[in-house]
Amino acid sequence: MKRMIIGEHIVKSFGEGDEKHHVLDGVSLEIREGEFVAVMGPSGSGKSTLMFALSGTDRINEGKVVFEGRNLAEASENELSDLRRTQMGFVFQQPTMLKNLNILDNIILPSMRDHRKKRVEIVEKARALMKRVGIAGLEQRDITQVSGGQLQRAGICRALMNSPRVIFGDEPTGALNSISAQEIMELLGEINADGTAVMLVTHDAMVAARTERILFMRDGKIASELKLPRYRGADLDERIEKVNEKMREIGV
Amino acid sequence: MYSRIIRNDISKSKLITLTTAIFVAAAAMLVSLAAILIVNLSGALDTLMTQAQTPHFMQMHSGDVDTERLTTFAEQNSNVDQFQVLEFLNMDGSQIRLGAHSLVNSVQDNGFSTQSEKFDYLLDLDGQIIDISDGELYVPINYLKDQTVGVGDKAVIGGKEFTVTGFLRDSQMNSMLSSSKRFLISKNDYDEIKNLGSVEYLIEFRLKDLSALGAFETAYAAAGLEANGPTITYPLFKMINALSDGIMIAVILLVSALVVAIAFLCIRFTLLAKIEDDYREIGVMKALGLRVSDIRKLYLAKYAAIAAVGSILGFALSFLFKGKLLENIRLYMGESENASFATALGVIGVLLVFLAILAYVNGVLRRFRTISAAEAVRFGISRDKSTGAKRFCLHRNRLLNTNVFLGIKDVLARKRLYATMLVVLVFSVFIMIVPQNLHNTIASSSFIQYMGIGSYDLRLDIQQTDHLSEKAAEIVRVMSTDPAITQYAALTTKTFKIKTEKGTEENIKVELGDHSVFPIEYSKGRVPVAEDEIALSVLNADELGKKVGDAIILVIKGQETQFTVSGIYSDITNGGKTAKAIFKDDAADVMWYVICVELVNAAHIDETIAKYADSYAYAKVSGIDEFVAQTFGSTISSVRQASHVSIAVALIIAVLVTLLFMKMLIAKDRYSIAVMKALGHTDSDITVQYISRSVFILIAGIVLGTLLANTLGERLAGAMISSFGASTFHFAVNPLSAYLLNPLLMIGSVLIATILGSLGAGRIQISDNIKE
Repeated sequence: MKRMIIGEHIVKSFGEGDEKHHVLDGVSLEIREGEFVAVMGPSGSGKSTLMFALSGTDRINEGKVVFEGRNLAEASENELSDLRRTQMGFVFQQPTMLKNLNILDNIILPSMRDHRKKRVEIVEKARALMKRVGIAGLEQRDITQVSGGQLQRAGICRALMNSPRVIFGDEPTGALNSISAQEIMELLGEINADGTAVMLVTHDAMVAARTERILFMRDGKIASELKLPRYRGADLDERIEKVNEKMREIGV
Repeated sequence: MYSRIIRNDISKSKLITLTTAIFVAAAAMLVSLAAILIVNLSGALDTLMTQAQTPHFMQMHSGDVDTERLTTFAEQNSNVDQFQVLEFLNMDGSQIRLGAHSLVNSVQDNGFSTQSEKFDYLLDLDGQIIDISDGELYVPINYLKDQTVGVGDKAVIGGKEFTVTGFLRDSQMNSMLSSSKRFLISKNDYDEIKNLGSVEYLIEFRLKDLSALGAFETAYAAAGLEANGPTITYPLFKMINALSDGIMIAVILLVSALVVAIAFLCIRFTLLAKIEDDYREIGVMKALGLRVSDIRKLYLAKYAAIAAVGSILGFALSFLFKGKLLENIRLYMGESENASFATALGVIGVLLVFLAILAYVNGVLRRFRTISAAEAVRFGISRDKSTGAKRFCLHRNRLLNTNVFLGIKDVLARKRLYATMLVVLVFSVFIMIVPQNLHNTIASSSFIQYMGIGSYDLRLDIQQTDHLSEKAAEIVRVMSTDPAITQYAALTTKTFKIKTEKGTEENIKVELGDHSVFPIEYSKGRVPVAEDEIALSVLNADELGKKVGDAIILVIKGQETQFTVSGIYSDITNGGKTAKAIFKDDAADVMWYVICVELVNAAHIDETIAKYADSYAYAKVSGIDEFVAQTFGSTISSVRQASHVSIAVALIIAVLVTLLFMKMLIAKDRYSIAVMKALGHTDSDITVQYISRSVFILIAGIVLGTLLANTLGERLAGAMISSFGASTFHFAVNPLSAYLLNPLLMIGSVLIATILGSLGAGRIQISDNIKE
């Protein structure tokens, strides 16, 4: 499949002089169209930073990130914003919703920025997505009036509103109980099956085991990689065991 | 430990600390200035009136004086301490030339006196009683103020040359609001020019006890003594002297009250935001067993430090500015004797501001009690629910741009937070509009209607001449055929006796004629239309204890005649004690005539004035605009100055508070901003959202502020104006500046402040704020 995101020798550091600390220390990788990727690693290994770098959310110090043929280092802040809004979707650990808006308004928020589509069509699409992820009927609720799992589904709806090429998830199941977490992962699997690339950052082997490719990070570098066949709803325990085994092998 | 906590805290929030300190300093400065000015004004006024020994009762009189009869009255009245009759040589302005200027256009009754021997002295600028030699001339202080003449200049009076030796303070006639001005010359010079003008007598008394003034007035009137002219008493002298500066002090007091309120709002806002920031820490401290009072001290200490620095700075600033503001008081009245008392009162004022702030902070910190330790530690933020505006939904929004929608939605959802900014903007608009409307009102030609003068173009005053009635009739005859004149009204003023409640008789001056031609504003009731109706000035009505509809009894041609009070009006002319009626009378002596004239074309006023002034040398002809400019000119210009300062102050307040508010808001909202940026909103999207918030609040603020200014502000200004004697009052609004220019200025300033304040949003890193 076609390469979508190419990272070449990415360096991201914080601090100055002696206190300078490389969070990403020369990472190179590729994400292909429609791929389902997980990034694992201990706290501070740079996995979230990698995601921010690949999505153009954070500027890098050295190396380059190319998204669909565009060098992100050369793009302006506004171009990066446009790229994030039209080509990417984000799902975070905490439901990053605006307190003042109800569920439906939060979902349509990124689409309302552009007037390419009619308001009625946008609302229609949002309702359809809500139905698909199983939260139909919650449109008018405040974000404090629904459960964490429902909120995370709403977050996924929001990420899907502009039909992105890739969805980035930073610990998307981190704040959920295991049943909700499984449901969210199934949802992400379905979305991926429809052709949208998904890149997840997680420390949960159960989450990673549902993807096709797992990158293990340590001290700002990709320490290892594990490829799995596409998950079809069986042999999950076996896949988890493979992930755990790999983690033991590289000592993370 | 406190000092370290304070230092850390201040260095983390420099702008907020600075802004709060500035407002505290401004509040302290204004309160201190007001205190210093009040003490100095009353002190300087007391000193002036004590040194000059201002008469307690003065009757002006034109015509013959029976000195013997007056002396007998004075000796027999046990209240009288001293008594004298002074001469005031009234001279036409055209006869007086000071340096390069002629006083031909002066609306003042300029006249000449010699230094009195017993009391009512004319003082030099050092407060000393002037000792004058032949050929010397002392000029009233207002001609120094308007730079008509300087010391050493030549003056020509009726062809005789004088040298201007100095300027004089006159405790009676200093103020531009009093219509006469006394020049001082030597006895010999006075005798030489005496036949060039008409002599008016000032019959003056000083009483042993000022509280006996009322009884004395009654006794004077009852004795049927000379009374052909205004009567003025000590309290009125005092009020006229204090008025101009009093208005300035009132404006400062108004502004300082608002600035104190704004300082409080700033403190409240920053403190609440800080508490929200520190919510978890406060919870932890409570959980660890610290007492609420201990935690409160940590916060109180910081504000005590800011308030102390601000107060000291404000007090120092008030010393810097007081010289400028005291200039006028010093010029007209001299130094105050209790200057040290003024400083002490200033300190007390500043201390009050300081203590009020501490008390207020302590009050705000009360909400610590309601913070639940468990909740604070668990959730980390106070779970204030967004309220209202549920129906205002993005998915139903057709009209507004999404960013504008989000801005307005935020304001509606967090009303309490934005209320602070709204209130500050309302205050700013209020401060901006009220002094300006006040200035417009005083400067407008209709304002004099509140002062007892109708709205006409010019007036002819005929007094102190023989055959008054014939002369007036002659002028009226000419006017009736003058095509340049649309209408005129001849008003005759006569003195009658009035029966008081106690059965005694007093003098009352009644202006007779058709009062409906040039109506004035009546604070109560209406113009007299029937023969048995009479309208009273506020001062007369108060003194006689009469209301509209009451009956009063005048003695006309020796007969008691009953009148009904038809209305009460404000008046500053002729000592403020006047009455108006329409009945005919040919028995009593005419005191003076006023002929009021309206022209076909007001632009030709100068020609008409020249025509009548040339034809009738005995009449004083003055254009009403000129009259207003000269009488209220200094008051108008000081109010104008105050209104300009107010606009600047209002804009500074609006800019500072908006800047502060936006900075704090962005600090508070950094998470939401990071979310929106992650979702692909650009920096300019976010700026538009913040501008929408500002503009939304601003428009509400301008509307509310304007409404408030025209209701509450009108009343406040009315209270201020009522010291003139005017009790009904409506703003004359200049719509262009009040409803267009000012709002535009305000919008411009607030927009710039918003853009500057929300620049910080661009620096918010998504990754710093959404990290799990």
